[in-house]
Amino acid sequence: MDGYGTKGWRLLLREAGYFLRNALGSIFSLEFVTVFIPLLLLWEFLPRLGVVPKALVPPLSTVAAAFWELLTERHLLTHIGHSMGKFLLGLGIAVATAIPIGILMGWNMAIRKRALPLFQLLAPVPPPAWVPITIILFGVGLPMQTFLIFIGAFYPILFNTYQAIKDTEPRYLASARVFGASELTLILHVYIWHAIGAIIMSVKTGVAMGLVMLVIAEMYGGRTGIGYLLVEAKDFFQIPVMVVCMAVLGVIGWFLIEVLKFAELKLSVWKIGR
Amino acid sequence: MIEARGITKFFSIVNDDRTADGLTAVLSVSIGIGAGKIVSILGPSGCGKSTFLEILAGLQAPTEGKVLIDGVTVLEPLPSTRREMEEYRRKYQFLSPLANGMFRDRPKHDIAMIFQDYAVFPWMTVLQNVTFALKLRGVARAERASRAMPFLKNVGLGDSLSKYPSQLSGGMRQRLALARALAVEPRIILMDEPFAAVDTITRERLQDDLLRLWNATGITIVLVTHDTDEAVYLSDEVIVFSPPPGSVRNVFPVASPRPRRRSDPEHADLKGRIEALFKYDIDHESEYSI
Ligand SMILES: Nc1ncnc2c1ncn2[C@@H]1O[C@H](COP(=O)(O)OP(=O)(O)O)[C@@H](O)[C@H]1O
Ligand SMILES: [Mg+2]
Repeated sequence: MDGYGTKGWRLLLREAGYFLRNALGSIFSLEFVTVFIPLLLLWEFLPRLGVVPKALVPPLSTVAAAFWELLTERHLLTHIGHSMGKFLLGLGIAVATAIPIGILMGWNMAIRKRALPLFQLLAPVPPPAWVPITIILFGVGLPMQTFLIFIGAFYPILFNTYQAIKDTEPRYLASARVFGASELTLILHVYIWHAIGAIIMSVKTGVAMGLVMLVIAEMYGGRTGIGYLLVEAKDFFQIPVMVVCMAVLGVIGWFLIEVLKFAELKLSVWKIGR
Repeated sequence: MIEARGITKFFSIVNDDRTADGLTAVLSVSIGIGAGKIVSILGPSGCGKSTFLEILAGLQAPTEGKVLIDGVTVLEPLPSTRREMEEYRRKYQFLSPLANGMFRDRPKHDIAMIFQDYAVFPWMTVLQNVTFALKLRGVARAERASRAMPFLKNVGLGDSLSKYPSQLSGGMRQRLALARALAVEPRIILMDEPFAAVDTITRERLQDDLLRLWNATGITIVLVTHDTDEAVYLSDEVIVFSPPPGSVRNVFPVASPRPRRRSDPEHADLKGRIEALFKYDIDHESEYSI
């Protein structure tokens, strides 16, 4: 029992190590550092030397100070936590609905004919256009924010999943059918695996759209989250705080995309041919 | 016993200039393949051999005619009148006529098929490809690997169990497809050019393995090939397809007793006749196709 527990932890640590190496590898590569450090230096010194107006473009050190202040005095981590919580909830609901519906529509013509036109009519509505009606329906709390994130992430995941499932190589289906595969087995062992790369790709697009909607949702309602901090900073003209918020959003997006890339790497080992 | 009665397959196609067109891939083929026989289908490429084999397997519905396996119709032909069409649409609205059912894995006929492009699953390892096929045939989980192993060893893949198909050569993939088809121990095995991508030595070994298995089990084998040597060496009967649209050009029984020798002079004579027929057809085909 104990031995198994340690083994599990060790495995988890090893995977986390791989993940970090993969994720951070591109940022801490020698090639990128030689570009990144000069950029940071320019950011620091151009405003200081008065090349660009300091009041509008705060130097790096000012932004860093603002970051520290937000972190220690204004509960930045709590705000990040709230934003992530809403985001993951909205994205989770989108993934949990869009992928199954996409699979069903890709698998079966009868379902596709009944469901697809509805989504095709609704999808072109730009997600931000949902804001007013959502506020009226749900108020400005968590349900409204979650719903907006869900709306942003849902369609890209749905359509890409559907398309990938529909494009499954008929040879593989035929081959499994001759051996006796039921439709459920085909879905679980053929369609999904054939489409896995495209499905993960669709979730990445969903993450990008969901983040857009997260910021919009928090700007319109609620008292917490990065989007809220951003609007508040605008009202008090705190440019360094805005920059910190933008950077935090950037890092969150980057991190989520890296997680998905890692999942893709793990799930599609079979694609790495030699 | 496999019986094909007047099988015709017509495809609606779109030409390069976007006009609609039709293509007759198989034209009125009627053959009977006795249980426990090895029958080869030989013909120039594009003459509908693969299409015909898929019709035998129940993967494509014929436009006309039907296939019976031990008296059971494999797939009903496609509807031709408007009323039949409506009925067909309603009947298969939710589940394709090819489906084996919604939840339960069970083949309609005890057939295994080897596709021309192997169709092994790239997301499964060598071993998983075979155990998956066994799972579909209802073999208990605990037995699958031990059932799969001898067949994989036999085709020389015993050391590549955890490799993915993308890590295998074309010939190894083909051997995997062969092992997978044999492992389910079907009563009928349909093979679409199964030895085309392997080297001569391996090909001869695999052919002999197949014959040994056939001897031991008495399965029915339908083999599509364009290799006359192979057809004559393996078969009880060689069915020669004409150039497109594919129809039966000639049927040559191979009478020589088994076990056979590859260098049997009787075979040389038969091969000569088949090849002469081929050459004649191909020379004359180019006349009308220009
Ligand atoms: N699904 C399809 N749609 C349209 N044409 C097809 C289809 N499948 C096969 N064909 C055509 O039918 C003919 C016979 O094909 P095939 O059975 O693969 O020949 P073979 O296996 O003898 O080389 C070819 O001309 C091919 O282009
Ligand atoms: Mg072919």
